[in-house]
Amino acid sequence: MWTTIVKKELLENILSYRFTLFGLIALILIPTGMYVNQMDYAKRVRDYEEQVRLAAESVSSLKIQDVMAGTVAIKGFRRPAPLSVYTRGLEGALPLYYEFTQDGFQPGESLSGEESILSVQGKVDFVFLVQMVLSLIGLLFASDVIAGEKEAGTLRAMLSNRLPRDAVLTGKVVGGYVALWVPFSVAFLTALLLLILSGAPVFGGDTPARILIVFLAASAFLLAYFTLGTMISTSSAKTRTALVTILLVWAFFQLLIPRVSDMLAGLVHPVRTETQVSLERSLLAGSLALETARELGRQYDLIFGSAPRGTADNLESPERKKWDAVKAEIEERGKEQRARQLGAIDETYRQQKRRRQNLAVGLSIVSPSAAFARFVSDVCGTGELERAKYAEAVLAHSRVLDGALFSKVKRTLMIHPSGHTSLGFSALPVDFKALPQFTITPASLADIFKANWLSLLSLAFWLVAPFAVAYMQFIKYDVR
Amino acid sequence: MNDQQPILKAEDLSKRYEDGILAVDHLNLNIYPGEVYCLLGANGAGKTTTINLFLNFIPPTTGTCFIKGIDVNRDPLEAKKHVAFVSENVMLYGNFTARQNLDFFAKLGGKADLTKEDYYQVMRRVSLQEKAFDQRVKNFSKGMRQKLGISIAIIKDAPAILLDEPTSGLDPKAATEFLEIMAELKDEGKAILMSTHDIFRAKEIGNRVGIMKEGRLVMERTREELQYEDLVKIYIDYMKSEPLAV
Repeated sequence: MWTTIVKKELLENILSYRFTLFGLIALILIPTGMYVNQMDYAKRVRDYEEQVRLAAESVSSLKIQDVMAGTVAIKGFRRPAPLSVYTRGLEGALPLYYEFTQDGFQPGESLSGEESILSVQGKVDFVFLVQMVLSLIGLLFASDVIAGEKEAGTLRAMLSNRLPRDAVLTGKVVGGYVALWVPFSVAFLTALLLLILSGAPVFGGDTPARILIVFLAASAFLLAYFTLGTMISTSSAKTRTALVTILLVWAFFQLLIPRVSDMLAGLVHPVRTETQVSLERSLLAGSLALETARELGRQYDLIFGSAPRGTADNLESPERKKWDAVKAEIEERGKEQRARQLGAIDETYRQQKRRRQNLAVGLSIVSPSAAFARFVSDVCGTGELERAKYAEAVLAHSRVLDGALFSKVKRTLMIHPSGHTSLGFSALPVDFKALPQFTITPASLADIFKANWLSLLSLAFWLVAPFAVAYMQFIKYDVR
Repeated sequence: MNDQQPILKAEDLSKRYEDGILAVDHLNLNIYPGEVYCLLGANGAGKTTTINLFLNFIPPTTGTCFIKGIDVNRDPLEAKKHVAFVSENVMLYGNFTARQNLDFFAKLGGKADLTKEDYYQVMRRVSLQEKAFDQRVKNFSKGMRQKLGISIAIIKDAPAILLDEPTSGLDPKAATEFLEIMAELKDEGKAILMSTHDIFRAKEIGNRVGIMKEGRLVMERTREELQYEDLVKIYIDYMKSEPLAV
């Protein structure tokens, strides 16, 4: 009986014009969108490689005097994510590079800075198509699953037979979903083939597994919307009523919740911009450096103020020995103070961002669409996890450059109580060609699943709950 | 009286909807093999509710329906094995051909191993034009849809048939053809319960005719009794009479 319903549902869908229309939409939009994104990705990779090459050349021509002059700024570029062809996610919003100086680091420009208003509002990538187009089609496919049969009276005809109601509901959901899933899968595979033919890096590392996860997540997302549509259809007497409800529900989950949640989270937990934080760091670093310089000047005058001329240059004099010890202590204290206070700024900023993000995730997670987008963008390396990894990599690289480059040059600035200043330099040799490259360690699949447990829970909820509600309604439904 | 066991039986059957309307009021009914029972009544008299109760589409408030001795409420799926249903607007899938519709409903009715020829035979029996067999039914006339509906009931080969205003909206020729098929099914021993507004055809085809008013069966006559009475007058008199006391 169940298979009879599934077959009938499939046949009915295949014979309908909407099936052909959906097949065409999926077959045109998904491969075309992916191909265009692949072309865009290839260009971004070319740009990245060119920029990295030029930056390396620039670094290799540096001299220690440049570091002493304090004019060195080393750029660390982020490589475009290969799976950004599936979803651009934060790809456009993330800085293309960070600039590292001896005073810290600053974000560079981002891609979205160059884009038109229309582009910024949404890129036509795979996730966008699944979220905005296929989800709506999925809901529309489901709109008449039960309401259509009620309206046409065929439900009465069916249920006048020895046919359990659960078999009717599950058979119709399975048949209807398969009719949706098959054209979608064909379009996905066509797009994948196109990517392979156009030379996209789809076979390296865990990329095939990630592509499979994207496909499964999209399939689950469509099923969630299909069951949601089935629930609405089951509780509606007419297809038209179901359609109106579906459009409202779609707009709520698709347009309202994801956007409002981020805005609300930003209002509840305001976060400063990265540039603000970076400027604050620079100001604090400068102020601490001045403080250290004043202390050094004061101590210098105390030790050498009454000593004969030339005592400071005599390494064996007791005053010089005392000065070396005091200077080292002041510099060490200054370094510790700088690390502590700058660390506090970084930690406060991280906490603010974490609080806002947690709230935004919590609010948006009620929408299956937001849950799907968050998970898939993380799988594709263009999501919030990538942003966190990027930030971690920037901090780590900043420390590495401090050790390998900036700390090799010591500038001792002294501001004496009399007001005059003196500047001394000491430098150790630096092999500029051997400076470490900036790299971001990608999030592993385990990290992604761990970070997205709430999104996955939301998707699972939307897979099960609407079906359970539809089941309860249908079992109790009085056929009139 | 009939010595046989009734195929369709309603025992003290009542249905009160959630809005308080008493649609069926203590109905007792027995329909035997080879018998056509025509249920007459105005709109809202409870005819369709009675059929819905037999099909377990809605639960009764009190009483029980039996199909071939099986309590419909206790074992609805088993009971539905023995009943076929044809409604006023025969419900079919417009994008399917006549044969595809027949195939689907035959499978639901438990006939999984029928051939194309079996379907053609049934459609020929109800006088559906050959050229329509493999045409999509969305372009069928009401008469053609009704014939296909009867084909579905025939192919199920159930001992009981429930017909909800089957001749409503049919032209005289189609209605006559329909009644001829009903007569054949009756002769094959089927127990048929038919709700209708068509007094003339009820008198023509029914072994017994009952009139429902406000959920109650207010009158019942056999075909023999009706030879000496004017059914139209009886019907109109009942319809004009005062509302029944609750």
